[in-house]
Amino acid sequence: MTSGATAGAAVGGTPVSVPRRVDVAVIGAGLAGLTAADALTAAGRDVIVLEARDRVGGRLLNHDLGDGQVVEAGGQFVGPTQNQVLGLAADLGVATFPAYARGASVYVHRGRARRFGGDIPPDPLALPGLGLAMARMNQLARTVPIDAPWTARHARRWDAMTFATWLRRVTAGTGGLELVDVFLGSAYGGTAAEASLLFSLHYIAGMGDERNPGTIDRGIAGAGGAQELRFHGGSQLLALRLAERLDGRVQLGTPVRGIEQGDRSVTVRSERGTWTARHAVVATPPVLASRLAWSPRLPPQQDALFQRLSFGALAKCEAVYDEPFWRADGLSGQGVFRAGSTVCSMFDNSPPGDGSGDGGGPGVLMGFLGGPQWRAWAHRPARERRGAVLRAFAQVVGRRALRPRSYFEQDWTAEPWTLGGPTAIAAPGVLTAFGPWRDRPFGRVHFAGAEHADYWNGYMDGAVRSGRDTAQAILAATD
Amino acid sequence: MSEVSEVSETAVLAVPAERVWEVLSATGRYAEWVAGVLEVTDHHGEATVGRTYSERNRTVGPLTTRSTWTVRELDPPRRRVDTGTGFAPMHDMTNVFDVEPVPVGDGLGTRLTYTVRYRPGLGPIGRLIDRLQQPGLRRSFQTSMRALEDLIIAEGDEHEGHNG
Repeated sequence: MTSGATAGAAVGGTPVSVPRRVDVAVIGAGLAGLTAADALTAAGRDVIVLEARDRVGGRLLNHDLGDGQVVEAGGQFVGPTQNQVLGLAADLGVATFPAYARGASVYVHRGRARRFGGDIPPDPLALPGLGLAMARMNQLARTVPIDAPWTARHARRWDAMTFATWLRRVTAGTGGLELVDVFLGSAYGGTAAEASLLFSLHYIAGMGDERNPGTIDRGIAGAGGAQELRFHGGSQLLALRLAERLDGRVQLGTPVRGIEQGDRSVTVRSERGTWTARHAVVATPPVLASRLAWSPRLPPQQDALFQRLSFGALAKCEAVYDEPFWRADGLSGQGVFRAGSTVCSMFDNSPPGDGSGDGGGPGVLMGFLGGPQWRAWAHRPARERRGAVLRAFAQVVGRRALRPRSYFEQDWTAEPWTLGGPTAIAAPGVLTAFGPWRDRPFGRVHFAGAEHADYWNGYMDGAVRSGRDTAQAILAATD
Repeated sequence: MSEVSEVSETAVLAVPAERVWEVLSATGRYAEWVAGVLEVTDHHGEATVGRTYSERNRTVGPLTTRSTWTVRELDPPRRRVDTGTGFAPMHDMTNVFDVEPVPVGDGLGTRLTYTVRYRPGLGPIGRLIDRLQQPGLRRSFQTSMRALEDLIIAEGDEHEGHNG
């Protein structure tokens, strides 16, 4: 079972009958909420974090492999320009290690598997068009104002079409689109047909920082890109350490149902009690924020936006072996599956073992069921899905993949406090109609989360950035 | 009327016969292991005599055909006979699976025989096409049976963990 280790320092479970007063009530103990609470506490504010689950971390979740080893069942990779999350990790004493990338990767298309090096699969018919399309994406992304994409010169035109429509225009055949969809399967939990071009260009523009313009190359790359590093102890360790540092200010098992606010305070109601605060931070997925009972009601534009920022569909499927046997065959364990496969991509997800990244412990292969793959397989019997995933792994690393020591899945759509993964994607028309409402405080209530970040939107780095920005906004309002 | 052609291949699979029978009885799953089946477009679940299922099949290169099969005989867990349409110029297509438990190493295995019979149309041209296609058919039967073995191995035991 996925462990979902609970926060050692989090408050347990007695209902609170008398309304408590705090400076700030934070709803959601994911990375954004915890980061905001940490910054506010450091600034001397009295904070409570209310978390619906019995664990902290949100989309960060460690799976216990035994013998003190874990593997990530949720968000896991970090890389260059993600300085917010890397800085937080350093501050919390959580070290990184390189995701395993030595050896050849494998490209699977129409049932045939071919080894390749680097990040771009060897598809001579698709590659020229894809290369040009990626260059054009980067070029257009540079023209998108990072903090207000709806003001881009061609915002209305770009938001009136899907990313897929644009890709079809700029590439010949279906190869370029299908290879972009491989990446989006795990990045969006969907396809280019589900997202607007403007949203996608903004997403790419955010794959950088204030000094380094975002590029799609950085987003898809292993070494030198967003899949370069992982965290010792699993990414959920960041949340666990933050919760420890909050020292009893995290209340688990406390789903918030409603928020009322007046001129001087905001009241947060849960089944486990009521908190009155000067400010609140809603650090939940946007759709869940729209489902709270608001008094007064959320501005209709903000409500409409949050309802439209629903998450993609994503499950992680992981097979555990006695050792990472594929490494001896010169394979990195990475697979890229063009349309029609059970998973869209797979990685060597082994724990770092002796710390070098060379193993010494179990080998783990992880595949993404994202978007179309999730829709094809999520409703199938678990046994059949497992078989299909392992056969996809076997196409990349050989038949030994068919017999894992253990196997587990984490379907993020089945998580009632997440409702999908890995992030929210905006369909055509959403950003230009409602974009300015994304981060706008509603009275005394602020919004935080990976979906509320301009840089690395939907990533851990975006969550940390958003949490810190939100804390700063509250401190600025109260100083 | 032309003579009946028969193509038959046998493989010993390192998986139990009851699982082989179970999977090959699932009319919705042929695209997962039968080479050349691109998708099952309609099916009735567990094979039942007199009921049908439909497929889209690869033929030559990028060409595809749509076929419909009717389950004709069931002798669980040993023998299954279906007849199919949609493979012109091949007519009177019959597909037979024979399943026999055999020991494999220290465990249970299965001898699976995969047979098709059909009547080539188009006279001498049809017979020529038939001769040319038979080696490919034999390879695809072997590929299918190995894929079935892999599928059953990968799905593990009934009580093996699928989610934890």
